[in-house]
Amino acid sequence: MAHILSSFDEDFTQINATIAQLGGIAEAQLLEVTDYLEKRKVDGLDALIARDKELDKLDQDLHEQAIRLIALRAPMAQDLRRVIVALKVASSLERIGDYSKNIAKRSKVVIPAQLDGAPMASLIRMSGMVQEMLHSVMDAYMEMDANLADEIRARDLEVDKLHTSLFKSLLEAITEQPDKVAIGSHLLFIAKNIERIGDYATNIAEQVYFLVHGEFPSDERQKADTSSLTQDD
Amino acid sequence: MEEKPKITARDVNVFYGDNQALFGVGIDIPANNVTALIGPSGCGKSTFLRCINRMNDVIEGCSVRGNIHIDDANIYDAHLDVVELRARVGMVFQKPNPFPKSIYDNVAYGPRIHGQATSKADLDNIVEKSLRRAGLWEEVKDRLAAIGSGLSGGQQQRLCIARAIAVSPDVILMDEPCSALDPIATAIIEDLIEELRNKYTIVMVTHSMQQAARVSQKTAYFHLGKLVEFGNTSDIFTRPQFEQTEAYISGKIG
Repeated sequence: MAHILSSFDEDFTQINATIAQLGGIAEAQLLEVTDYLEKRKVDGLDALIARDKELDKLDQDLHEQAIRLIALRAPMAQDLRRVIVALKVASSLERIGDYSKNIAKRSKVVIPAQLDGAPMASLIRMSGMVQEMLHSVMDAYMEMDANLADEIRARDLEVDKLHTSLFKSLLEAITEQPDKVAIGSHLLFIAKNIERIGDYATNIAEQVYFLVHGEFPSDERQKADTSSLTQDD
Repeated sequence: MEEKPKITARDVNVFYGDNQALFGVGIDIPANNVTALIGPSGCGKSTFLRCINRMNDVIEGCSVRGNIHIDDANIYDAHLDVVELRARVGMVFQKPNPFPKSIYDNVAYGPRIHGQATSKADLDNIVEKSLRRAGLWEEVKDRLAAIGSGLSGGQQQRLCIARAIAVSPDVILMDEPCSALDPIATAIIEDLIEELRNKYTIVMVTHSMQQAARVSQKTAYFHLGKLVEFGNTSDIFTRPQFEQTEAYISGKIG
């Protein structure tokens, strides 16, 4: 259904365009930094880090567009939810960008070094899973598809499980090579950052559900990331 | 426990000649709340409002079927005194319409004709109390003999509210009470409405979605003579249950 006042729809088109750009860049940043890790190359990571500023700028643009729309259009019902959800999604995407930036910074140290037994293949696989979640959740947002959003929430469980097992493998590798604690710690943080991006994608999925239904999903999401419970033997 | 509704309407049908304006409207309006009636022009919201104090009786060819009770009294009972009903159910109109009389006489008019004041002092007291409740006393206390129509638009509307409450009604009906007022005068009236609901049950027709959202606790959406949706204002404006309501409050068509 279209608004009688067509400029109202144009405002939403503009907001969606900004979110699409944010989503596109956030996804590309994660994809690229994972590629650097996989191919063990560092040239170009600085450019990737610098590119995070684009996300910050777009997030600010979105805030201005949203505030203007609220002030001038006084949106109601789903229109109001669309604006509020756009604000939250933009902030989530901006945070996702920060995590990719942080991964890139740590990668500059990690890539030239060597930690035997580091589960790099699993790390890259987890990043791929998260990147797919991010891609799907942006589709769900644009199509206002609450069913797809629900499915994405379930996928986060697999990411959590993988992160827990990665965490254990990394601890073992660090234990065996005490002179590589710095590298090992950076890898722990990289794994955690990827897992957090999965959480943000899940948050966006919950926002999409709210956008469509006017309430948040009632079922408590299962958690499988038990790495924070890890103890010394 | 749900409180007993102040106004109960059941299967209300209204006809203007052969033209049916309301179709089977049923609603429970709670006491000491502001209930906003919204909907596009011609949807029947003002018709329904005018049923509550039988203002439709004076319209040629208009007939009302169904039941409307205020508390336990059927207001369409053949023995009911309509003049008395209109004292219990006051009305404020879109355009401020003070009588061509002094400020004092505008407010004193109702209590006089209903014989509610026993002495001049008594009447003075009612006039002051009503003007205070309408938030107008401080502005007019030194010129009560001045003509009511000499006041500003917002003041005139508050004078009409004072006139309505002077006869101690239970219910106040408002038909777009702010549509002729500027934003400041509107804000003053809205603030007053919020205050008045402690003492009265208020039913208000408004074309301003923002006004309905700001001042009412309950909202009823009418469309083509039917009551589509009725519920808490906070729900109606954030997640209405019916697509028709959603489209109307968001200004959509399709």
